[in-house]
Amino acid sequence: MKTERYDRQIILHGFGEEAQFRLSAARVLVIGAGGLGCPILQYLVAAGTGHIGIVDDDTIALSNLQRQILFSTADVGKLKTIVAVQRLQEMNPEIEIKPFNLRIQKNNILDLLKAYDIIIDGTDNFDSRYLINDACTLLKKPLIFAAVSGYEGQLAIFNVKDHQGKATNYRDIFPVSPQAGEIPNCAENGVLGVVPGIIGAMAAAEAIKMITGIGKPLINILLHYNLLNQEQYQMHITPATDYTLPTTEDDFLKMNNHHDLESPSTYIEVDAIQMHALQQLPSTLLIDVRERHEVPVLDPVTYIKVPMSEFDTFLNTDIQEENILLLCQHGIRSVAAAEALQEKYGHSKKIYSLKGGIVKWRDHFLTPSNER
Amino acid sequence: MHNTMELEIISFGKIAEVIQSQQLQISGLSNTDELKVYLEKSFPPLSRMTYKLALNKIIVKENLQLKNKDTVAIMPPFSGG
Repeated sequence: MKTERYDRQIILHGFGEEAQFRLSAARVLVIGAGGLGCPILQYLVAAGTGHIGIVDDDTIALSNLQRQILFSTADVGKLKTIVAVQRLQEMNPEIEIKPFNLRIQKNNILDLLKAYDIIIDGTDNFDSRYLINDACTLLKKPLIFAAVSGYEGQLAIFNVKDHQGKATNYRDIFPVSPQAGEIPNCAENGVLGVVPGIIGAMAAAEAIKMITGIGKPLINILLHYNLLNQEQYQMHITPATDYTLPTTEDDFLKMNNHHDLESPSTYIEVDAIQMHALQQLPSTLLIDVRERHEVPVLDPVTYIKVPMSEFDTFLNTDIQEENILLLCQHGIRSVAAAEALQEKYGHSKKIYSLKGGIVKWRDHFLTPSNER
Repeated sequence: MHNTMELEIISFGKIAEVIQSQQLQISGLSNTDELKVYLEKSFPPLSRMTYKLALNKIIVKENLQLKNKDTVAIMPPFSGG
């Protein structure tokens, strides 16, 4: 192994060539090449982690660049995995980096995880996070959980035994996934770019610590970080008994998550073309559930405005129309609204949510008067 | 018996918009289950949120006794990446 590249860490007290050899033999899978994934990958690659996998099915958007620092303006529209591998391989051609341009699902995740020793979750939604958690727990794969919201972040290591022989996973903290739309994601709530930068760098540090054996990784500890006051708060996690997880791969593949069981989703997610067809029907109500400050502003005659913050009150009024279509910025809150209406009206009305929201179908909504 | 307690409340994420971090004077409460009922009554939006309590930096799984000067953190799940 050429060591000049890694000289500054090899000479560290407690690190040395042995730690560097461990790094070069390590296999780390990073799921999500976004705000967290970019810095995680950059530091793992720079440090000489020998085998890295990158999972993402998304393309680069202009609004990603504020925090996804592997990508440049000319990359907009390109696949994240392809651009990331290219940039990272330029940074360090001595390691192996594999792109997996796919969305993790129940039927592909187990094979993916099996090829790696440490998994890092930098995804942006609860469905993926619970899926990764459950799959890692089944396979007893060390999982570094990193998540951000606004100015704050959370970090923990799961499925690694502490000195008492106890291991924990995300369900020991939150046994059941929150309802769709309850917790805003970065697209809905906003995030300052340096927050995933800091949490991502910390996640990479935890991976390096686990691989090389230096320091005390965050095993069975949830670290909460707040950028605004630079405070960190560590909380201990102990195994809980109020949930069950599959113990065989067959059970895993057959598993329904709790959310599916509790709220069978009988509303329908539609695209802009189907929405247009619905608009032609005589008895259709279109509801924009975004807050009043959000842009672009839509024509209030076509799209009635019922912000989510006022939705509970709105539920008390009766809707006359047969078809109700809900829309919001990204199609997340509209799902929550659709579920609430479904609960109220059951099968007596047809309820739709615009998948991907106004952002996805932007051209459909922009008019000369609301274009910015 | 004088059973007024002072708790330090630390809240995170969106929960901090509902309950600010503060010293909370409470009376008539003895455990974390009762504290949850009290908090959701005093701060109604909390009842519609997913959250977890940590008592003196240990994440609460079952009902735990409270004592004067305890610290209770209230934490929502984050999913952003």
